[in-house]
Amino acid sequence: MKELQRFGYPIFFVVMAILPHLLNSRWQAVAITFLIFAVVALSQDIVLGKSGMFNMGQALFFGIGAYTTAILNSQFGWPILATIPLAILIPAVFGVLLAGPIVHLRGDYLLVTTIGFNIVFVQVVQNNLGGVTGGPNGIFGLDSLSFFGTDLISQVSVYYFAFAVLMLTLWIMRNLEGSKPGRALHYLREDQLAAESIGINTRIYKIFAFALGAGIAGLAGTVFVVQYSAVSPEAFNFIQSVLFFSIVIVGGSSVPGVLIGVFVMFVLPEIFREFATWRFFIFGFAMIAAMILRPRGIIPATFGKIPKFLIKESNHGA
Amino acid sequence: MVRNELILTDVTKRFGGLTAVDALSFKVEAGQIYGIIGPNGAGKTTVFNCITGIYKSEEGSVNWRGEEIRGLTPYQIVDRGIVRTFQTIRLFSQMSVAENIMSGRHIKSEQKLWHGIIHTPGSKRDELANWHRVEEQLDFFNLGRFAATPVGSLPYGIQRRVEMARAMAVDPTLLILDEPAAGLNDKETLELLETIFKIRDKGVTVLLIEHDMDMVMEVTDYLTVINFGKKIAEGPPEEIQKNPAVIEAYLGSEDDDDE
Repeated sequence: MKELQRFGYPIFFVVMAILPHLLNSRWQAVAITFLIFAVVALSQDIVLGKSGMFNMGQALFFGIGAYTTAILNSQFGWPILATIPLAILIPAVFGVLLAGPIVHLRGDYLLVTTIGFNIVFVQVVQNNLGGVTGGPNGIFGLDSLSFFGTDLISQVSVYYFAFAVLMLTLWIMRNLEGSKPGRALHYLREDQLAAESIGINTRIYKIFAFALGAGIAGLAGTVFVVQYSAVSPEAFNFIQSVLFFSIVIVGGSSVPGVLIGVFVMFVLPEIFREFATWRFFIFGFAMIAAMILRPRGIIPATFGKIPKFLIKESNHGA
Repeated sequence: MVRNELILTDVTKRFGGLTAVDALSFKVEAGQIYGIIGPNGAGKTTVFNCITGIYKSEEGSVNWRGEEIRGLTPYQIVDRGIVRTFQTIRLFSQMSVAENIMSGRHIKSEQKLWHGIIHTPGSKRDELANWHRVEEQLDFFNLGRFAATPVGSLPYGIQRRVEMARAMAVDPTLLILDEPAAGLNDKETLELLETIFKIRDKGVTVLLIEHDMDMVMEVTDYLTVINFGKKIAEGPPEEIQKNPAVIEAYLGSEDDDDE
């Protein structure tokens, strides 16, 4: 595991950095989708994996971010980059508002409530709320990314934009791990009563997890808009949320686990496209097998690091 | 200057028709090792839950340093310097010993929520300072060599120590121990006694529930005996040992209490 950390990440970053030059445009698009969904899955991991809250509505925040960018661009003519702050902030505010009244609910009840939120969102955008969401067809013909007046139209530049967002997400997750709020999420996931009895206001940290996850998912929404120049309701429906949920559970609540999960869920289906619907049949079985063989995920969570000076003698943990 | 006193007055807690704690009053003074004993089901743990905010008592008052704390949440009570351990150990079992103890530093750490997203020089200093406080607790409880070990894989006696270390990491004024000797062997119980005395010497008041009579008699300065939620006696251990009501209610039925 230690070796994987030491060499795995540099290799991953180098491969990801040169990847678009090795692929044709179809596979570049697949790679961009991988990056976008990886960011959403990591944001789901903050809520589901790290904090242990059964959130089945992460596509909702992804969608709010995407629609924020799309509406600001199509209705108000904002450049895509300028919409980023609001595409993070608005989902985060929704995260606080939606999570606030429900975070005290136990796992299964929370799960049903978040499904409800997701369905309401899809209904709202399908019914063209305020005449700005474009109804069932969504919004299309959006601007491409432009950076100081230069239009970045090529797939490769979109890829690097998505890659930068993933790097930013990984950096935030690393900061979270080594901080008081990040540990508080682990504590409340492990034993909520013990966490409160040691002085942690679990409610605040649960809402924080939702807001942070929502903000990151919202940013991924902007990347989604850049990639497709369009948004439509079905990209953010309940089934998408189920996929993000499954990725974290099957992959395990760790960065490599989540990335493998995204690869298996979104990239393998593309690779095995010729098998048509049979691939989903295999998929179902693969998920079942993964859960039976590795109930804590393919690469389970490793908890926050402790400083080296605390590790004495040879009695290391697993 | 308010004295670090915990005063319970007529605390009553009911569960449906059952009165678990019935008009209980007692006073824990600063620097004491105070014991609460009583047969199984006497309501001892319920009293602790009422003090630490896990339950809210229906009646009565829980006064800590001149402030009414009845009805505060558990984390608000921790913030006022009262920390507890549990009869059934409640640790964060997948996490390492050091991380478990670090949870006790949560309330003392100055990091804000946004430090979970971006670190600053201040937050890094705060992080390091708190890990050093964890190191102090690891040394105090002789847990240094288990620092990186997931706590769920450790023997019961060591887990008990980790739980106390976690509570002590908060720098409490009042430490509440719920049956700290439960499940310990004789040697571990002796070590526990020493540890409790050392904690008291640091100026921490200790309130404990205990079944092990020998230990209670040895360690406590003052005792309250409860049965069926009511106080039946109080006094220093040597007096309690002679009290006929206690002998009948508790000592006489000691054999039944072995689990």
